[in-house]
Amino acid sequence: MTVRRIEVREKVMAKNDELAADVRRRLAESGVPSLNLVSSPGSGKTSLLERTLDALGSTLRMAVVTGDVQTQNDADRLAARTDRLVQAVVTGGACHMDARQVSSALEEIDLEDTDLLFVENVGNLVCPASWDLGENAKVVIFSVTEGEDKPLKYPRMFERSEYCVINKTDLLPYLPFDMSRAVEYARQVNPGLRFFHTSALTGEGMEEWYRFILQLAGVTEEAPA
Amino acid sequence: MHELSIALDVCRIAEERVGTDDLPRITAVGLEVGAKAGIEIDNLEFCLEALLGNPPFGHARPVIDRLDGDELRVTYLEVEDDDGP
Repeated sequence: MTVRRIEVREKVMAKNDELAADVRRRLAESGVPSLNLVSSPGSGKTSLLERTLDALGSTLRMAVVTGDVQTQNDADRLAARTDRLVQAVVTGGACHMDARQVSSALEEIDLEDTDLLFVENVGNLVCPASWDLGENAKVVIFSVTEGEDKPLKYPRMFERSEYCVINKTDLLPYLPFDMSRAVEYARQVNPGLRFFHTSALTGEGMEEWYRFILQLAGVTEEAPA
Repeated sequence: MHELSIALDVCRIAEERVGTDDLPRITAVGLEVGAKAGIEIDNLEFCLEALLGNPPFGHARPVIDRLDGDELRVTYLEVEDDDGP
C-alpha cells in the first residue's frame, strides 16, 4: 500500500458564495439596494419592518423576503402592511437563510418595479453571519432586553454587520440596561458600526432609520420651501 | 449549528475529486478552519467522522488545521493506492 496526498484547496460552501454573487449582480443591475436583517429571535425585526412599510410604503417600492424556521407568521404580518408581494421562506429546521433561497425568492419579484429589498433572516445570532445572501449590508437588531454584552458574546454577527439597530428603547425605564456600555461593546467588536436607537413599538427614534432607508434607496427628502 | 451542512459539502468536494481523478481509497481529508469561520470545530469533526466512516469513504478521518482567520476549505485528500504486482 502506498499513501499519497492530493492537493485540493477548495473552499467549502463555495456554491453559496457563487449564488450570492449572482443575487448581488441581479440586484445591482436593477439598481436595488438590499439589507439583510439579522438578530436573535424576538428582537423586533418584523416589527421594525412593519413600521417601515407603514411609514414609507407610499414613497418607496419595498420588496420583502422573510425567513422563518417554521410558519409563515412573519410573512402574514408583513403582507398585511403592504400591497406588494412578501416572499416567505420556510427553512424547515435550518438555522439560517442561504443564497439559493433568496435567489429563488427573487424570481417572483419584479426588480424593475422595486426600490429596495429587505431580507429578514431567521432569528439566530450565530449562523446567519456565515451566509452571504448577496445583500449590500447586514443590519443587526439588538434589543435592550437582551443585555449589553451580546456583541461580545456573538462577535461575528456584529463584526459582519454595518448597521446596528438598538430596539425596544421604550423598555429602558424598566430595565437595568446600560446603553453606553452596550454601544461600547459593539464598537469594540466593530468600530465602524452605525447605530440607530428605536422603539418599533412606539415609533420613537424611527425617523433617523427612515431617513437612512430613503437615502439608501436614492430618494432624498425635499428641502423645506 | 450548521456544521452538518458544512460536513456534507466537505464530503461532496471529496467525492467529486474521487470521481474526476478516479481515486482509490481515501484515508484522510485535510481541512483548514479559521477561528472566525463561525464553526464549532469539535462539532464539525464529529459530523465528519460520522460521514467519512460510511460509503463511499470507508474509514477516512478528518484532519483539521485550526487557523486564525475565516478560512473554511478542504486542503488535501490522502489516498491509499493498492501497489501493483
